[in-house]
Amino acid sequence: MAAAVSSEHFDNLQLLLKAPSKDAVRDVCVQSHRGPSRRLADTTAATLSIPTAQAAQLVQSLHVVSHHVLFYNLVSPEQILQLFPDSFHSSLKNLITKILLENSPTWRTEALSDQISLPQLKDLDWRVDMVTGSDSVSRMSVPTCLVQLTMEDPCPAAGGEALSAVTVELSRESLDTILDGLGRIRDQLSVVAGK
Amino acid sequence: MQLHFTKDVLSDSVSTDFQNLNKLNEQQFLRLIEILFQFLLEPKETERFMQQLGEFAGEHGMSAGPLRSLMKSVLLVPQGALKKNLTSEQIKEDLVTLGLNQDKAAHFSQQWGEHYAALSSLAVGQTLMVNQLVDMEWKFGVTVGTSEVQKVGNIFLQLKLVVRKGNSTENVYMELTLPQFYNFLHEMERAKASMECFS
Repeated sequence: MAAAVSSEHFDNLQLLLKAPSKDAVRDVCVQSHRGPSRRLADTTAATLSIPTAQAAQLVQSLHVVSHHVLFYNLVSPEQILQLFPDSFHSSLKNLITKILLENSPTWRTEALSDQISLPQLKDLDWRVDMVTGSDSVSRMSVPTCLVQLTMEDPCPAAGGEALSAVTVELSRESLDTILDGLGRIRDQLSVVAGK
Repeated sequence: MQLHFTKDVLSDSVSTDFQNLNKLNEQQFLRLIEILFQFLLEPKETERFMQQLGEFAGEHGMSAGPLRSLMKSVLLVPQGALKKNLTSEQIKEDLVTLGLNQDKAAHFSQQWGEHYAALSSLAVGQTLMVNQLVDMEWKFGVTVGTSEVQKVGNIFLQLKLVVRKGNSTENVYMELTLPQFYNFLHEMERAKASMECFS
């Protein structure tokens, strides 16, 4: 059972009745999902002709409601309509519900791609070289493989770079061992997928 | 002196050392060569090598010191031969040029032929590698929920690569989605196919 959203947020949402158009409502809803911002509060105050303080509260309440819908994965109109108090303006309630339903899939995808994780593999390049000589053997003919892995850290340390790359050298045996390991992962994955 | 195993000018002591080898009887020479090849196949076992030489010296009434420096000269030949990929024939020629008698040279080169494959792999294995991948560990699982979305069901794969940097190792951690994993597997298979073209 999804937790409720407190009624004061819905009081703030009724300020949207002052919006000049449905598109204006849509804009505020979508932009407030990202997070509170001074600029957004200012533009909203201008659009709705309300004091900035009230606009800021409106933006905050919209943020709470849209994140609630996202967190509990409320996908049907009934589930969302249920959140509103009975006294809420009926057409505005339907409009807000429609906007939330329209944007939920995008928000969900964004949330999942933004979540905390280890650095993500972004790119993979490889090259096979032939080693023809070294200080220990002056003439040889041994293939070796260089792999460059480019990774992006979704939450880099302050002052750190998000993108990093590491290049590793693999002998034939190492590459075979890696493929062995990757094959085992693939087998385990298909067992899981089959379930 | 024209030698296959080296272009350097050798000091006179090297020739003297090889001629001294001729003084050993067959059994003594065989044992000494056995000790030598044991060391070549396990080059990290220097203590054992020194110890075996000491024992040999004791058993046959020789001084350990001169025996060790004699062996240092002898070692020059197989070490140079490995670098230059010499055949048994060539090594035998060099030993004779250095003053070793025919029988002993033949025996040495026969032992060389027998152990050549193992010694070559060892030498190739010592070739420098940059950022050599030493180990790979993985785990995969399912993301059950996040602070933004209560119920999720995405498969993730985490890899830890252990890379040798100089004398120490460095761990590299990364995460892959399923499509990225399949791409990784595909690319590694292509790399392997490319390497196999060369063998």
